[in-house]
Amino acid sequence: MKPDLINTLGGGLLNVLILLVTAPFFEGVLRKITAMIQSRQGPPLLQPYFDLLKLLGKDDLESGESPGMQRFAACLSLASILAVAWLVPMVGWPPLNGAGDVILLVYLLTLCCVSTLLAGLAAGSTYSLMGISREMMTMITLEPLFVVAILVGAVHTRSLRLDEVLSGSVYAAGHFPWSGWIMLVVLLISFQALVNRVPFDIAEAETEIMEGPLMEYSGPKLALFKYAQMSKLVVYSALFIGLFVPWGSGLPFPANLCVFWLKIFVVVLGVTLVAATHARYRIDQAIRYFAGLLGVAFIALVLAVYGY
Amino acid sequence: MTAEHAVFYSFIVCALGALLTLFLGGNRRVAGWTAFVAAGVSSLLVLYGAGKTLVSGPEDAVSFLALPRYGLDLRLYVDGLSALFLGLIAVIAVLSAFYSIAYMESYPEYGVRRYYPWFLLFVGAMYGIVSITDTMVVFFLFWQIMTFASYALVRFEYKRPENVRAAWKYLIMMQIACVLVMLGAAMLAPAPGGAAGGEAINRFDFDVLSAHLPMLLRDHSAWAAVAFALFLAGFGIKLGMWPFGQIWLPDAHPAAPSPVSALLSGVMIKTGVYGVARCFLWLVPAAGQKDYPSQGWGVLIAVLGTITLFSGTMQALKQEQSKRLLAFHSIGQVGYILLGLGTCLALMSPANPAVMAIGVIGLCGALFHTLNHGLFKSLLFMNAGSMLHATGTQDLNKLGGLMRYMPLTALTALVASFSISGVPLFNGFASKWILYSAAIQGGSTARYLPACALVAILTSALTLASFIKFFGVSFLSRTSARVKERVAQGQPLEVGPLMQAPQLILAACCLFLGVVPGVAVHIIGLAIDHSRQGLGVFLANAPMLGNGPWGGLHDPQGKAVWIPLAIVLVFACLFAFVHGITRLGGATRKAVPPWLCGYALETDANRYGAHNFYGEIKRYFRWIGGSPAPQPTRPQAESAVSTNLPPTAAGRTG
Repeated sequence: MKPDLINTLGGGLLNVLILLVTAPFFEGVLRKITAMIQSRQGPPLLQPYFDLLKLLGKDDLESGESPGMQRFAACLSLASILAVAWLVPMVGWPPLNGAGDVILLVYLLTLCCVSTLLAGLAAGSTYSLMGISREMMTMITLEPLFVVAILVGAVHTRSLRLDEVLSGSVYAAGHFPWSGWIMLVVLLISFQALVNRVPFDIAEAETEIMEGPLMEYSGPKLALFKYAQMSKLVVYSALFIGLFVPWGSGLPFPANLCVFWLKIFVVVLGVTLVAATHARYRIDQAIRYFAGLLGVAFIALVLAVYGY
Repeated sequence: MTAEHAVFYSFIVCALGALLTLFLGGNRRVAGWTAFVAAGVSSLLVLYGAGKTLVSGPEDAVSFLALPRYGLDLRLYVDGLSALFLGLIAVIAVLSAFYSIAYMESYPEYGVRRYYPWFLLFVGAMYGIVSITDTMVVFFLFWQIMTFASYALVRFEYKRPENVRAAWKYLIMMQIACVLVMLGAAMLAPAPGGAAGGEAINRFDFDVLSAHLPMLLRDHSAWAAVAFALFLAGFGIKLGMWPFGQIWLPDAHPAAPSPVSALLSGVMIKTGVYGVARCFLWLVPAAGQKDYPSQGWGVLIAVLGTITLFSGTMQALKQEQSKRLLAFHSIGQVGYILLGLGTCLALMSPANPAVMAIGVIGLCGALFHTLNHGLFKSLLFMNAGSMLHATGTQDLNKLGGLMRYMPLTALTALVASFSISGVPLFNGFASKWILYSAAIQGGSTARYLPACALVAILTSALTLASFIKFFGVSFLSRTSARVKERVAQGQPLEVGPLMQAPQLILAACCLFLGVVPGVAVHIIGLAIDHSRQGLGVFLANAPMLGNGPWGGLHDPQGKAVWIPLAIVLVFACLFAFVHGITRLGGATRKAVPPWLCGYALETDANRYGAHNFYGEIKRYFRWIGGSPAPQPTRPQAESAVSTNLPPTAAGRTG
């Protein structure tokens, strides 16, 4: 029991710390590379840290009629993504393995979106509401894709445990079934949407509805939402690697972590490249796109159930 | 006093209460309190009986009134399953009666003589339905009392033609259901004077049917299958299964006064669940298990459940009337319960204990979801009732910004919305977690179950979408013209303490069972353990989910685990930490108006109403039906931002 408790607490705190420290760095990388692709100089790598610090001291404007809900939603956004960090193997094992499983993981990821929805509703601006309507529609069609990836892993390992599913389980212990490959492709081409980046940042869409749900937020609350957004990129990358790119995690201690974070860096790089070179889709185009992918994912699930 | 006697006395209390409220009906308050006392006493009796059964196991069935000449034998038997449903009915009935006291004052043009007597008869008949053993005459009597009482309640506002129409539809559907169930029972009953029918007074008694069944399953399997199909159809109508539920349920539930909607949706449709569970799992004796095609019935019920949950929820997403939206969600949530029952049937294999254990987890999830749905759906109907009481409308398009004026109702509605959407740490998540883990793990035996689980998880996101709309446009968003008008009249919008108390209690229950689901699972485990009729023997002997009442949930093989208290701790620390971060910079808070690009005045015309939500999804699923009829005079334009407004510099451009 004792080593378990240390693993849980230590791992959880470590995950939260690493996430808080690295998330703005990866955002900085993303911005820098985007700028380079677009032939700009771009901000320094550490700019996102300064942005967050600056926002913490800015005026906190509350436009909603229920400011209590606005405060709650802002805190929930970062708190829920940090809670998810307790379920993701970022330093070698999922810290809360003994208290939750992959179903909890799926629903906690949903909770991260719920915070944005509540924030938009509480702010009450027409643009916010339009944004949350889009956010919710994206979520309805997107969430099942991620769920299928998890389910394929769960079906192959016959387990819902985090450590078993988030260790390349879609490949069923090395005999590389079709379902695993299909889900890899499906998640690769929907990954931008999972982390709310161009071309699927439809809910925020600065150029059309001015950040949608976040439009009315400023100061520390905006800092929390931004921080949560940056963390989401790292958490989803870690989940993606856990599910689909397990190679190298068996190496001895310092090497396995280096390999892991290198892989995260590569994923972020990929996200950046796609984001910098694509234009945003409309919501109906996006939904049709995800619905097609959902059909493919469903086939993958059926294949997985039959052991392929 | 045995549990059976307690239930019998509660009938008498309900009947006396009904008489008394009929005489006292002239005074609303007095009649209301009388009904509450009657409902309270009968609930206490029933809870005593249910508790006794759950703690010390069932006793022998008791026959209270036998008239063999008319085939009437009022024989009651309370086992664990009955106790569970009795407990649910008792809790919701007493809270609903309490809520009625203040709520019924909002109907000055309708007398309560047509409300409280029927209310009490309705509750009494529901107690009866889940504890009688007869399947013919007594069943008919109780079913008819339940049906006619609820018919009268649905028809309460008889001056509105749509309510009368809804009530008629409801009555006709319930009569069809009654005929189907009795037909099924008649097909299974032994011939009069036969060997099997000789020992009991009544050849339609549950135990007699059960004893006769192995022979039927062996020699006349098609005949038995037809009878079971009739049970499924009959009880399916009652519980709102696709395609029957869509016919009556969305019309009947919103038509009734809100406390009755809470009873109808939270409790009455559960008698259908009880019927399906009782017939498919507890009617077939252990001896007939080999010839009983449980896998086949499992496929049928799980697939019907999946269709029900998806279609009901997708139709709910389109609704713009608060109570109608909730009614469609009742169909959706009942689908989850059916999926759990189907999982249990599909994995019914006494020869293979590991598979059997997963099946029992499915049943446990179904029963837990039954309890949870009773709690949060009653709460939601009470919330909708409070909104109706405060604003006089069910139209979500006309609501907005109520959280400021009704903070307590808003808070309880948020709890209920989170519960039904399956947000972790609320009770809906716990039961859905159990259902999913059973369905996913059952995939290696019944290969369609993971697909059903996928649809269920997808539907859970739809439920969230629907309740984000329900909660958001009524309590958050911005104050609508209608609400402003009501506020200007000077009275506080928030309902009084008499209506707040039941909402608070239900919200507390939702939170409690969400954080400590082990308590409910422990009770359900006791219920299954104390229901050893028929296949119940196998269910009772299988290992149960859980880790004691306080230790969270994990399945017997340790492949799935959910310990909410750990997550509560993590969340509490993280919230404190994050809140600390916001304080670091010493930012000052200011209240400002929202920014509308600096040129448009904020009016009802450019509010984003319930109608505007999820346009694309609604368009793609138009074929699934349930779209609300277009309203002739819609205040706002189709597009969210009306461009023909005069360009006035009213924003905060400065």
